[in-house]
Order: sequence, then structure tokens, then C-alpha cells
Amino acid sequence: MAARAMTRGILGLRHSRAVTFGYSCGGSHYATAASIKPPPPQNEDVSDKIMKLPLEKPDFFRVSELFSLKDLFDARVHLGHKKGCRHRLMEPYLYGCRLDQDIIDLDQTVEHFQQALNFTAHVAYRGGIILFVTRRRQFGHLVETTAKDCGEYAHTRYWQGGLLTNAPIQYGPGVRLPDLIVFLSTLNNVFQPHVGIRDAAKMNIPTVGVVDSNCNPSLVTYPVPGNDDTPAAIELYCRLFKMTINRAKDKRRQMELLHSLSAPSTPS
Amino acid sequence: MGRSDRSGSDNRQCVVEAVAMAGSRLERFGTVFSRVRDLMRSGVIKPTQKPIWYDVYQAFPPKREPLYVKPHSRPSTKRQEAVPDIFYREDDVRAKFYEQYGTGPRAFDPSKPNFVSTCQRFVDKYTELKSHSGLDDCALFEETGKALLKDGIVLRRRGAPPVSAESRDPVLELKLTDMLAEQQSMGAVSEETMEHTPHTSQTSAT
Repeated sequence: MAARAMTRGILGLRHSRAVTFGYSCGGSHYATAASIKPPPPQNEDVSDKIMKLPLEKPDFFRVSELFSLKDLFDARVHLGHKKGCRHRLMEPYLYGCRLDQDIIDLDQTVEHFQQALNFTAHVAYRGGIILFVTRRRQFGHLVETTAKDCGEYAHTRYWQGGLLTNAPIQYGPGVRLPDLIVFLSTLNNVFQPHVGIRDAAKMNIPTVGVVDSNCNPSLVTYPVPGNDDTPAAIELYCRLFKMTINRAKDKRRQMELLHSLSAPSTPS
Repeated sequence: MGRSDRSGSDNRQCVVEAVAMAGSRLERFGTVFSRVRDLMRSGVIKPTQKPIWYDVYQAFPPKREPLYVKPHSRPSTKRQEAVPDIFYREDDVRAKFYEQYGTGPRAFDPSKPNFVSTCQRFVDKYTELKSHSGLDDCALFEETGKALLKDGIVLRRRGAPPVSAESRDPVLELKLTDMLAEQQSMGAVSEETMEHTPHTSQTSAT
């Protein structure tokens, strides 16, 4: 009940922002910078440049510098579950099996993680709403504080059935759904796939998820094969997501200042 | 009054937001991107309603398309072992070490990143000696044990060595209850039993 009120409060805040979007930004295409007051009128080409420029570089936010394979190893990201718990679809991501314990291939993890962080950074740059989800109660508080620190949202409690699929009824009409959902663990408390993965796919919302060796990675848009049980690993993920999102938002502010300074020179 | 105003503004919001995200809820058909792309191509989703992540996905697609994979419900035929077992050459040495010496004197400390356990030191020394001298396995094993003893690590063998019948002291076979019965019956020979019992108690203690 309290959780519902909290999420309602959170989505309600966004709701009020969504109202300003509907009225003020008639011309621009996408939801731009997050601010309660309507953004200052900008030129079309300036906003286009702000949007298009990051997509041209492969690593605009330099997320590959945020972590290395050694960091992943030290945080015990490579440790999977036992052989009996292995999910068939995780086999491509496993390096091998040492004395019945699955070892995740960190070379692949590095690539997947870079892709996932890059995607998160771009979505945050464009002012998208990011929702952190985990049903691991051990890490619920950590995930909530991470979300708070980067100005995004978290849902670490019981996932009500119609949270995404029935949102206008549950949270009021005109509610804005998240643009990206980050799963710190894709399983729920009874070791079944989290309902949020299927619901996000239903609502056409991309997902980033840490998939352990007993998880199903097929519906996750950007899976990150890695350990989701060790506190060290989860702390690493939270820290990296927080750093990426903050970096992306700072970059956005920087770009806007840069281009708004040069805007008066271009004819409107 | 306020209520009707609110509902009025809600209606306006509904008009703005309700047309947003006509979607398809078929998560098992295609990927998120393919569905949105096709909806946009057919005109169901207007270009103004393009989702934020669409361009990002187009520029940086994932390695594998997130298509739904049907779970095989029938009992699967034996497919080849896709995930190889990880074994090293030193595992032979490690297995022998654990069999003979148990865990070793020092406990494992996985919190330290560069921790070297007793077993690992043994293995390192073994490989070192193997490269220098060409002895066979058993002799090399003993040599490594001696080398570690020199370094100050005492390796205690695990389990009691097998005991042969002759080596056992016959006095140890005596049970204390029998001795007590003897003592009580031979109460007159107390001197001898007094001498005898400390001796036996000492030997039985060892």
C-alpha cells in the first residue's frame, strides 16, 4: 500500500511535467530537457544538432572508460550458479563450468555492459525516464538510493499486475511510462522471470537487465550476463549506472549551454 | 466546482496523451524495435510520437535481437555439452594435496584479491621443482613437502596412518572398568595396584 502510494507519487510528479510538455513544446519532436518550467524556445536545427550529434560517435559518453575487465573480476561478476540451475539460453554467455559452478565469460560481459551503459546514457541524455527494478530485498535500499542519486526512479517492491499495462487506470490518465527499465536482477522472489520483463516488451519499452546463469535473457533488449547475487557485483552495477546517467545529464546541460550561446548568431 | 475544472483539464490531457503510444502488446512476435518501426511505417504511431529510444536503438542495436524464444517442453534429446568443464594441469597436484593434507594449516581468505593459499604455494613449488629436476610424481610430491617445511609451513597429514596390531601396546587394551573390578577384588594388594594405576593412567592418557 505504501509502495503503491510512493510509486504513484513518483509517477504523479512526472505526470505534472508531462502536462507542460503537451502545451509548450508544440514544435519539437521528442521530450527534451527535464524542467518544470517550459524550456526556452530553441531553433529547430540547434535541437536537432543536440539530438543527432551524440549518435554519430560510437562512444560519445566514454562509458568504456568507466570499468575494466579486472574491475568485473574483482567484484565477482563472473561467478554463476551451479550447473543444475543453468538456463539453456545462457549457455552462449558462459565461459565454462568449474567444479559444477558456471563461470560467465567476462569478455562478452564487457561488450554487453558497454552497450547497455551506452544505451542508458543516450536515453538519459534525451530526458528519458529510467526505472530501476529488482526484487532482491537485500539490495532494495541500495537500488532506491542509486535511483535517487541520479534523479531517476526505482521500483523494488511487489510488482502489481497492471503497473505498466494498466497504468492509466491505476495512476490516473495521461501518466508517462518509463522509457527504459533497468533490471538489477531479472528474477523475482520465487526464481521465476520477473513480470516486468514481459510487461515492458508488451508496452514496447526497452530493457537493460543483469542476467545470471539461471535467468532467461531472450526478452531483455540489452542483457548483461553477470552475477546478480553478490553485494560487490550489485554495488558495482549501481555505481556504474549512476555515473553513466549523471554523466549523460551533465553532458546534456553542457550541450544546451554551448548551443544556446551560439544560437543568437543563427537566424531564427 | 474545482472538480469539474479538473476533469476539464484531464480531458484535455487525455486528448494530448491518449493518442500517444498506440502500441502492440505482442511480446512474442518480433522485437520491441521491429514492432515500433512497423507501427510507424503503417502510420499508427505518428512521427511526433516517436519514442525517445528509437533513434538510439537504431544507432546502437544490441548484439542479439531480443526475440522471444519458445521453451522446449518435450524431453530434449541429448545434445552435446555446450559448456566445457574447466580443468587445469595443476588440478592433479591439487587433488593429491587435498587428499593427503586436507585444507592445510592456513584458512582461505577470499576477500583479499591476491591471496595465495597453502595449496597454491604447494602447486607453485611443485611446478618449479618439476621444471628443474625430472623426478617422478611421488618423489616430487615429497620433495615439495620438504621444501615447504623449509619455508616454515608445516603440513600435517590428514587422518590417522593405518595402525598394525603388533605395534599397539597391550596395556592400552585394558579397560578402566576391568581395572576397577580388579582393584576392588584385590583390595589387599593395594600397594601394587597403587603403583600400577598411575602407570596405566599415564599410558591410557597417551
